[in-house]
Amino acid sequence: MKQHIPKYLSILATSALFLCLSCAPQSPPGNIVDGLGRTVIINKTPQRIVSLSPSNTEMLFALGLGDKVVGVTEYCDYPQAAKTKPKVGGFSTVDIEKVVSLEPDLVLASRIHSKTVIPALEKLDLTVVALTPASLPEVLDSITMVGKITGQTREAAELINNLRTRIEAVADKIENLPPDEMPRVFYITWHDPLMTAGTGTLADYVISSAGGQNIAFDISGDKAINLETVLYRDPQVIVASVDMGSGKDLPWQYLQTESRFKNTQALLNDRIYKIDGNLIHRPGPRIVDALEQMAQFIHPELFK
Amino acid sequence: MALELLKNTTTPETATIYPIQWRSRIYSIVGLVLLLGIVIIVTLAIGSTDIPFGTLCYVLFDKLPFTHMEATWTSNIETIIFDIRLPRLLLAGLVGAALAVAGATYQGLFRNPLADPYLIGVAQGAALGAVIGFMLPVSWQVGSIPLLAFIGALSAVAVVYSIAKVGKTLPMTTLILAGVALGAFLAAITSYLMIASGDKLHGIISWLLGTFSLTGWWQVAIVAPYIVIGTIIIWLYARPLNVMQLDEEQAKQLGVNVEQVKMILLGTATLITAAAVCFCGIIGFVGIIIPHTVRLIWGPDHRFLLPLATFTGAIFLILADTAARTMLSPTEIPIGVITAFLGAPFFLYLLRQKKRAIF
Repeated sequence: MKQHIPKYLSILATSALFLCLSCAPQSPPGNIVDGLGRTVIINKTPQRIVSLSPSNTEMLFALGLGDKVVGVTEYCDYPQAAKTKPKVGGFSTVDIEKVVSLEPDLVLASRIHSKTVIPALEKLDLTVVALTPASLPEVLDSITMVGKITGQTREAAELINNLRTRIEAVADKIENLPPDEMPRVFYITWHDPLMTAGTGTLADYVISSAGGQNIAFDISGDKAINLETVLYRDPQVIVASVDMGSGKDLPWQYLQTESRFKNTQALLNDRIYKIDGNLIHRPGPRIVDALEQMAQFIHPELFK
Repeated sequence: MALELLKNTTTPETATIYPIQWRSRIYSIVGLVLLLGIVIIVTLAIGSTDIPFGTLCYVLFDKLPFTHMEATWTSNIETIIFDIRLPRLLLAGLVGAALAVAGATYQGLFRNPLADPYLIGVAQGAALGAVIGFMLPVSWQVGSIPLLAFIGALSAVAVVYSIAKVGKTLPMTTLILAGVALGAFLAAITSYLMIASGDKLHGIISWLLGTFSLTGWWQVAIVAPYIVIGTIIIWLYARPLNVMQLDEEQAKQLGVNVEQVKMILLGTATLITAAAVCFCGIIGFVGIIIPHTVRLIWGPDHRFLLPLATFTGAIFLILADTAARTMLSPTEIPIGVITAFLGAPFFLYLLRQKKRAIF
């Protein structure tokens, strides 16, 4: 139910702003601006929700909305209960017909759906909200937004409080570290081709928030990296992602068997680790788990 | 007197078709071999990591027997030079040589300037094999992708060959048509598997575009024997290949066992192409532009064309891979993108310059 009638919108916008300012708990939320800057009108609290990304699914379950989730993607494998929900396709390949047949009153999409999937769903009069968090603070904002849309504002506030406390616990310990005590970290997203997470990625954010220096500081996004660049920058800690999609632990196997890493500080000091890629690449609540694990890898002396 | 000498070294027929410029061409071959050596040394010093040429020389001298240098470099620098750059550029050289000489062979055999090493299904077979490798359970995947690509390439050509064979002869037109048809069939299966591959798609596309990014010595050791021996065999058949340019009937009358030559050359060219693509993926364009460039510069005599194409191909792919690993460093560009992006304009330039029929 998205309409482009300016007068109607502006009245709604004013009233929403007014409600916000007076901090009145409200349900349903009226109109919201989603992660793609679209204004979406939500007139009643959603009861049947379809999630089009694993991180959206995790947020919904974390807010206690598991029962209202009626459709998820093939990649939504957390929590366990999400696996039994009806599947509406892959991440970028959404089966529109399947979505419609589930009769959702809210579809939670993500950035990759902006060009094709969202317009298609809107033509069918479905309410679509896109969540596009790309950093830790934005994950928290998205959780707030989902709480607001679904009327779970109290649960959202509690969850965010909990996550904030854990984030601050990490930040407190690494805050005053001088730069030379921040180890150089190489993160392996995939091994063939050798791929890493550069600036602007969640993994990069997690590494620096955990007190490390990403050696891929001059790469933006998830890209292939030269093997010789890795050797030259001589990482002190190497972290390989595992369990991403069907990849199992191939990057970790590669890290252990690549003989050319043997003279890096990380291998000489036995500082190689693996992390569940689904924690670190999904902009959901478990990103804080990734942060805590990464902090332990990078600063074992501070995080026992 | 000069004519007498010519008659001793070549048949009168080929002598009249190809006015011999022995000396300049032999100089060219020697020159290219030297150039290849220089290119290897220079590209060894180029990379995303800044290693001064002086340091490179010290590291190289240190490796020579009976010399010892005071190590002023880290062991990672040594790994970068000997275990990353050297195997990588050697493999690039071998693959470039294989694709170029196989391309020249196919063009000669089919007497068709558009023939490339992938004409009769090698690429499609290799691609299907590799994609099947990607789809296997993870525990089987390690090492199976190149093996399946190799097997896929050879079986595709074997099928094409057995379909096209009529009695004891092998009509070249039938062979091309069978190759194109089977290639389309295999490509259809590959496309479907790619769509169904989900999160493996990135790895598959990266393989299909070609990359040398993780090349180590073991790949060089596996691929080198096929390519070196295969290339030498092809060189030895340069003269029959020249004679076959006339016409198969005339070649037979001149005493060339046409069917046997076709068999050996097709088999060898296919084998070295399969060896070339199995680790680094399908690298397009080398097999077309290098032989034609050599023809434009040095003429179509296969006795020179084949070795000249071999060394030019090696030099070209080493330079292309140097561009692939340095242009956007520290990230990498797929080599197939570079060969077409840099190769095509250069080839068009040559074509404009020479403005004459080259085939």
